Amino acid sequence: MPLPIYLDHAATTPVRPEARDAMLPYLGEEAFGNPSSAHQAGRVARAGLDRARRQVAAAVGADAGQVFFTSGGTEADNLAVLGAALAGRDGGKAMRVAVSAIEHKAVLAAAHAVAHLGGSEESIAVGRDGVVDLDLLDQALTRHPTVVSVMWVNNETGVIQPIAEIGRRCQAAGALFHTDAVQAFGNLPLTLADLPCDLLTISAHKVGGPKGVGALVVRTGETIHPLIQGGSQQSGLRPGTENISGAVGFGCAAELAAHEQPEHARRLAGLRNQLRDRLVDAVPDLVVVGEASERVPHILNVCVPGADSQALLVHLDQAGIAASSGSACTTGAAEPSHVLVAMGLPRDLAIGAVRFSLGRTTTINDIEGVAEEFPRVANRVRALAGVLSRG
Amino acid sequence: MSGGVDSSVAAARLVESGYDVVGATMKLFCYGDSVPDRPCCSLDSIEDARNVAHTLGIPHYVLNLEDRFNLHVVQNFVDEYSRGRTPIPCVRCNSFTKFRDLLAHADALDCRYLATGHYVVARDGGLFRGRDPRKDQSYFLWGVDRSVVARMLTPVGELTKTETRAYARRLGLVTADKKESVEICFVPDDDYVAVLERHLPADAPALAPGAFVTTAGEVIGEHAGFARYTVGQRKGLPGGSTEARYVVAIRPETREVVVGTSRDLAGFRVRLSEVNWLAEPLGSGDRCTVQLRYRAAAVGATVLSSEPAELDLALEEPVRAISPGQSGVLYGPDQQVLGGGVIA
Repeated sequence: MPLPIYLDHAATTPVRPEARDAMLPYLGEEAFGNPSSAHQAGRVARAGLDRARRQVAAAVGADAGQVFFTSGGTEADNLAVLGAALAGRDGGKAMRVAVSAIEHKAVLAAAHAVAHLGGSEESIAVGRDGVVDLDLLDQALTRHPTVVSVMWVNNETGVIQPIAEIGRRCQAAGALFHTDAVQAFGNLPLTLADLPCDLLTISAHKVGGPKGVGALVVRTGETIHPLIQGGSQQSGLRPGTENISGAVGFGCAAELAAHEQPEHARRLAGLRNQLRDRLVDAVPDLVVVGEASERVPHILNVCVPGADSQALLVHLDQAGIAASSGSACTTGAAEPSHVLVAMGLPRDLAIGAVRFSLGRTTTINDIEGVAEEFPRVANRVRALAGVLSRG
Repeated sequence: MSGGVDSSVAAARLVESGYDVVGATMKLFCYGDSVPDRPCCSLDSIEDARNVAHTLGIPHYVLNLEDRFNLHVVQNFVDEYSRGRTPIPCVRCNSFTKFRDLLAHADALDCRYLATGHYVVARDGGLFRGRDPRKDQSYFLWGVDRSVVARMLTPVGELTKTETRAYARRLGLVTADKKESVEICFVPDDDYVAVLERHLPADAPALAPGAFVTTAGEVIGEHAGFARYTVGQRKGLPGGSTEARYVVAIRPETREVVVGTSRDLAGFRVRLSEVNWLAEPLGSGDRCTVQLRYRAAAVGATVLSSEPAELDLALEEPVRAISPGQSGVLYGPDQQVLGGGVIA
């Protein structure tokens, strides 16, 4: 087996040693306390938690009081969409949410949940370029949604959404605007203060932090309803004893990610472009998804005509290469991605999608390794598809 | 790796023997839409197979063969019942899905062998009954291509079920004490009529009312669809007779279910179609034993005539309830599977 090549950073990243080291005291006897406790042990934990909150806030250009730690991106998305809808209902408004058709399942399912609770949901379509159709957004806004959710960067295609423009239109229409910035954070410049955005989701493990912790950043003055009932931790918006070690690891990773972002993005864009060129040279009929659109530097989504992604991933894995078909379903679902379908890709093409996503540990050797293996894998899987289409 | 104990142990024995093993689970159907509380992405069997593969330190993949399985197995299952016959989907799955389509995946990965947890023995290019007579699954494997037998590995074929479970326990495999699956995998709760209802139009003749007739031609009642009946069946027939009644034939063209006595069920001849050979083909006058139902005893038989895909056999003793659609599997004196076919 050749050295493993990990090009699935959009799924998760390895924990950075700095983040791991920062967490260790909170996993041992040194700083195990409950931050709500009034004694010394509690104060030590509280100090760590507060520092982590300040670090995360600074990394996204927000105030510490705006950061609410959650169990991850999925919870933060749920809290934003459902929490805003429920708060809207408490304020006498209809529970109505509008979300783009290419959202992560966390947002799509939260929107379904709003409908299930007696509200309503609306899907905003994207064009063939993978970008939300602003005219359709305007139409959706005339129906007065409580909250609109459009992700900053799509996790499968890497296509960047015009969230400043979307946020302005939402504000003008009196709707809250939430963006899932999980794939944007660390890869694009991000300053909440400069954005017309009320609610923003980020996740630790996509930027070298641990799994199981994320945050919803809430613009001051906006009230949303908690989804979990409990004590008064985090202003009651997200009760429960805080995941201190996770938050501390997140804080450290977030600070580093924000600091390194410009150079990180520049380096990954170079590697991603090389990968793109090498793959297109080797497999001339390869389709690069969202090629005409503005994209993040770390994601490359390609479709191999006549192949299916499940088999491509098996063969890549056997060659020591970790990639993804986009949204992870590990049990071999043969359905094409809802994102690619929403972009109007033909089903035959969409089922042959592979997402390569680069990260901090990616080197030119990884790119060359993939470029060498990929044509062989693509040809084999296409030949297999031919064999399997016989009667 | 189905997620059962047999394929788990098959994989384990190969790993212990030093083979470079790739684990695969075939995803063959999905009830995700009709069974909302049990989405297919969390099917326990896949989890179990993955867990075992991890324990053994081998890669594990889920291969989606739903379209192929539906085309070659499920459709045939529905078609056969629609023709008044009683199919064995496991035979079709082995012939078309496991030992053909899955083998294509194995080929693409440069795998030399395809190993399964079947209780059969593949040896020197020939296929033989498994050692445990209560578990022998050779009846289901007559339809694979002869050239494939040389590439089959059957690591549990020489074990008894008890030995297989003991082996799994020794290795701490999660599947060691898993309940035996006896259902057809895509037929939940053994309710095959529900599967037919899902695949056939509402007005399909196979599910439409028809007459029960005696062997003498007398109408003695009405049934709710001949696909609900199998030759040899006793349940669900009109009463009123001193002698036990059985289904002795199904006539799909008139939708009649023919009812007779146990004497009417005895057969002395059988015609096989779709014949496939796993050894040198037999010719007229050759003798063998033939098994006409899973778990039934094989009986002596003589070939009356042999065409490329058809075979007529004279049985040396009467066989009860020979059912069209079931398999007739031919064995040699040393328990070798010589070939087989579908009972015409």
